[in-house]
Amino acid sequence: MFDCVLIANRGEIAVRIARTLRSLGIRSVAVFSDADRDSRHVHSADEAVHIGPAEARLSYLDVERVIDAALRSGAQALHPGYGFLSENTALAAACADAGIVFVGPPVAAIEAMGDKIRAKATVAAHGVRVVPGVSGVGLTVDELVAAATSVGLPALIKPSAGGGGKGMRLVTDIDQFPEQIAAAQREARSAFGDDTLLIERFIERPRHIEVQVLADSFGNVVHVGERECSLQRRHQKVIEEAPSPFLNDTEREALGAQAVAAARSCGYVNAGTVEFIVSGSEADQAYFLEMNTRLQVEHPITEMVWGIDLVEQQLRIAAGLPLGFEQADLHPRGHAFEARVYAEDPAAGFLPTGGTVELLREADDLAFVRVDSSLRVGTRVASHYDPMLAKVIAWGEDRESARRRLDAALANTCLLGVTNNIAFLRTVLSHAHVVAGALDTGLVERIDATVTAAPEVAVAAALALLEHERRPGPWGERRGWRLGEPAMVESRLVDLNGHRVVVHLRALDGDWEATVDGRTWSASAELVGARLSLTLDGVARNYCVVVGGHTVWLGVGGSAWCLRRDVAVGGGGLSKGVTGGSVVVSPMPGTVVSVLVASGDAVVERQPLVVVEAMKMEHTLRASRPSIVSDVMVQAGDRVELRQVLVVLEPDAADNPEAPA
Amino acid sequence: MDFPTLISHIDRTDPQAAANSAALDALVADLRAELTTARRGGPESARQRHVARGKLLPRDRVDAVLDPGASFLELSPLAAHGMYAGDVPSAGIITGIGPVAGRLCVIVANDATVKGGTYHPITVKKHLRAQEVALENHLPCVYLVDSGGAFLPEQHEVFPDRDHFGRIFYNQAHLSARGIGQIAAVLGSCTAGGAYVPAMADETVIVRDQGTIFLGGPPLVKAATGEVVTAEDLGGGLMHSATSGVTDHLADDDRHALAIVRRIVATLPPAASAPWDVRAAVDPVVDPASLHAVIPSDGRTPYDVREVIARLVDASAFHEFKPLYGDTLVTGFAHVHGHPVGIIANNGVLFAESAMKGAHFIELCDQRRIPLVFLQNITGFMVGREYEAGGIAKHGAKMVNAVATARVPKLTVIIGGSYGAGNYSMCGRAYSPRFLWMWPNARISVMGGEQAAAVLATVRRDQIETRGETWTEADEHEFRRPIREQYEEQGHPYFATARLWDDGIIEPGQTRTVLGLALQAVASAPLAPVNYGVFRM
Repeated sequence: MFDCVLIANRGEIAVRIARTLRSLGIRSVAVFSDADRDSRHVHSADEAVHIGPAEARLSYLDVERVIDAALRSGAQALHPGYGFLSENTALAAACADAGIVFVGPPVAAIEAMGDKIRAKATVAAHGVRVVPGVSGVGLTVDELVAAATSVGLPALIKPSAGGGGKGMRLVTDIDQFPEQIAAAQREARSAFGDDTLLIERFIERPRHIEVQVLADSFGNVVHVGERECSLQRRHQKVIEEAPSPFLNDTEREALGAQAVAAARSCGYVNAGTVEFIVSGSEADQAYFLEMNTRLQVEHPITEMVWGIDLVEQQLRIAAGLPLGFEQADLHPRGHAFEARVYAEDPAAGFLPTGGTVELLREADDLAFVRVDSSLRVGTRVASHYDPMLAKVIAWGEDRESARRRLDAALANTCLLGVTNNIAFLRTVLSHAHVVAGALDTGLVERIDATVTAAPEVAVAAALALLEHERRPGPWGERRGWRLGEPAMVESRLVDLNGHRVVVHLRALDGDWEATVDGRTWSASAELVGARLSLTLDGVARNYCVVVGGHTVWLGVGGSAWCLRRDVAVGGGGLSKGVTGGSVVVSPMPGTVVSVLVASGDAVVERQPLVVVEAMKMEHTLRASRPSIVSDVMVQAGDRVELRQVLVVLEPDAADNPEAPA
Repeated sequence: MDFPTLISHIDRTDPQAAANSAALDALVADLRAELTTARRGGPESARQRHVARGKLLPRDRVDAVLDPGASFLELSPLAAHGMYAGDVPSAGIITGIGPVAGRLCVIVANDATVKGGTYHPITVKKHLRAQEVALENHLPCVYLVDSGGAFLPEQHEVFPDRDHFGRIFYNQAHLSARGIGQIAAVLGSCTAGGAYVPAMADETVIVRDQGTIFLGGPPLVKAATGEVVTAEDLGGGLMHSATSGVTDHLADDDRHALAIVRRIVATLPPAASAPWDVRAAVDPVVDPASLHAVIPSDGRTPYDVREVIARLVDASAFHEFKPLYGDTLVTGFAHVHGHPVGIIANNGVLFAESAMKGAHFIELCDQRRIPLVFLQNITGFMVGREYEAGGIAKHGAKMVNAVATARVPKLTVIIGGSYGAGNYSMCGRAYSPRFLWMWPNARISVMGGEQAAAVLATVRRDQIETRGETWTEADEHEFRRPIREQYEEQGHPYFATARLWDDGIIEPGQTRTVLGLALQAVASAPLAPVNYGVFRM
């Protein structure tokens, strides 16, 4: 076995690999970019090597730097994790050149499985079933279209070099083929530098089921059961489970055998995953999709059900040790679910978010719950890397108990500072189809993700802010004290998506009367550290709270909200060529150089309108807010006086005048 | 501090205690009703018109400029009560103290729903009083201007005299000269003399298409020169912010303007630290909720004022000074909301000894930089030959002198009667306490109505009988009745507060909070040095 292993990755997977290395008594070496100097994975390893700037291309994706880090730290082996260079043959080859063991399959196997078209041909030759389709090596658009019609509709166009669902297109109408194929080629060319396409039959209500395999260098291949990953959004997995609720034992065994055959077909060694697409109507209609020649994100559910540490097995295999078991020795027990926590905003179309982790409570103290996380308080989540922050995994004796336990784990997770999908994960987990195990890969996208903060949350936010702003002394109270009866305390709040809410609070003895949107509660609140205990009509609930300035983050039951005081900022006064009003005037006596808009144009904030030259300086006059140009009073070459009106603007009716500037 | 703890001897199950509570409860309920009416402002139609223009009502403006949920120590909310046909609630202007961006400020907000925010005589007096509070306590001023200027039908009582309209701007100049920030937000009209409020301010905000500033409005301009001009062109926000420079910040609406005001206040230098040590506050040990049971429903019934002190001061702890001497005046040291205070409270009529003790104690507190709290319930100095011969006038003068010249902040609460020279020695309005409040059960006049009627009746009877005529008991009764009624009306707290003889009527139960708020406010101003030794009199 190795003494020292370099982890050529970051985030939760680097943390997770370091954990196994430590348990095996192997020294771990992390690598980090400028953006990750203080990241959790750096702290989880015994040593860490800086490998470049934040940009992944110049750090985590730079083979030379990664190899250099391994050599400098004296690592005997390199674990690539998933993503980044994990399926890059150049890294595997460079490892071999440098005398470092690559913890993964042989280059030939990566190459054979890396190209989807070749992969299909390879496995099909060994009796593995594949989806009807055509590969487009060297074909023109016309030839592709002709071939595509033979596959049948609906059909899916995929870039051969892509992965993770990037660049896929669904075609339901034969006439769409030429246009869609051309577009897919363009996209594939720019994204992957390779415009080879794959066209195949689209399986309706498909289920995504994958099988974990382990192969040693002595020709032993076993499967470690399947995982169902049908709960996806835009081909990104959201919730995975093992085993699949869809398969019976016979089907499971048959699928396992297919996976083992696929692994053997390419001479596979190490841990790998064979993905199948299974028709939602007939479980025995399973087709080989692709083989992932690395550790999968969702590997922990397999580990929990089969009682195997897959990273440990990878290391043993890479060290040239034989598998310590045969297929017959392996027995699954119970059921496991995994949910992926992403930095994304379900309420805003799942746009990626960012921010700094202000408060973190992870649920790994619960029994049968595992949290693989990249987070710590203070972690800055930026857009440099994958938005997946953590995985929450739960095991149960049966599917339902595992599902409930995962839900409880998510409910007991509090992540404040970075808008995330935890609440949405709970919504998905409690969906009737998910409870029933009736999954398909389109299900998640059919679930309504528009969750707005309940009025109770607004009350909690308003009281958290007031409690936070309280100071000692009678002037420090924030209860609207007046001679006689107290005044109504109005809190005008706005969330990150610009939704506004007004909370009215009236002090009543030691408590409050709270009103939001016509609903009234008797309320009391106590803020102790990061915990707000809010009692509404006698029912107490604890919120995690972080207050900074006029902003409050609140978490309860896995949900997180960010609300801030809605302080009026206005549209900006008359200064430096920015007008807040309906007229744009010349800041100097001068000459109009150019007029950049015409009457009727819609203009956005800061859009240049007119350029005026005066005293050898060019002054660009801009719109202060989204507007419609109602009149242009000058043309290029005109002499203009100081404060002469140049353009008249009307507020853009489509623009919400209350939107924060 | 291990000051002795006062013990209450009030038995709340005593029927008299219950009757006391009921009587004061009723007065407090009436006060609250009057406050509610006054705070509504102008008539419903005027308020609706105001809001329809996109303007915030003046109390909403005050709330929005203050820190969220902050306390506001309003001054004289019942000003002009019963005056001007009852048409000018709060005298058409809201004044008070509250924190803006963490800094205690004096807020002055016109109520345009009350006669267009114009200044009646009491409006002027209230505005000037707010500026006096700002001056004495070094509190920045925030003017939320929305006023048509002087109320023209009463211009003779608003315009010409020293303490009339012009004094507002004189004060602004002097306040600014002392480094007391003058900030104005023009949220409506600012016409004629009113134009000087923003013009005299250090920094000014105006709301576009809403605030206007001009010396003469469009009608006057047309009459004077024939020029026809719109209000916005003549003195609108854009013009003043971009062309005239009368205003510094152009706001989109009230909320925006008030947010700018808050940012301006945040740029002011910090307030001076308190001239005395402020420690953590402790609630009174004696339950303040039983205060109403303490105060006799009949103001002529004596009671031990220590029962009141026990419910006002921290931990009910009171270090009494000279308890055995001049015992009709209770003097001693305590804390209120952590601030040290010297308490001077009446416990009967003032004798020479009580007056000398009072003078001595005032000097002690002045030397030690301890603010004074006067709890006034005084029928006056003792009268009679023996006392005149004993020089009660000169002994009283000692206390009056000490009260007048003490440089420490003085806070006066009239908790019962305030009559005659007792008012002077106990720091009545003429002695410039930093604040003076009345309880709703209080009475104020040169003497009691009964006494005044008796004095005048005696004089009258002497005249009649000198002429050899007779005056029947019935005639004398008829003579006395209107005098009593006049004193009862004019001595009533509503009459007093309407005319700004005080800074407001406060609920007895809020006295401790009011004192705590005021002590923090008065602590903002530095104290001049003392240059005398304490006299033992």
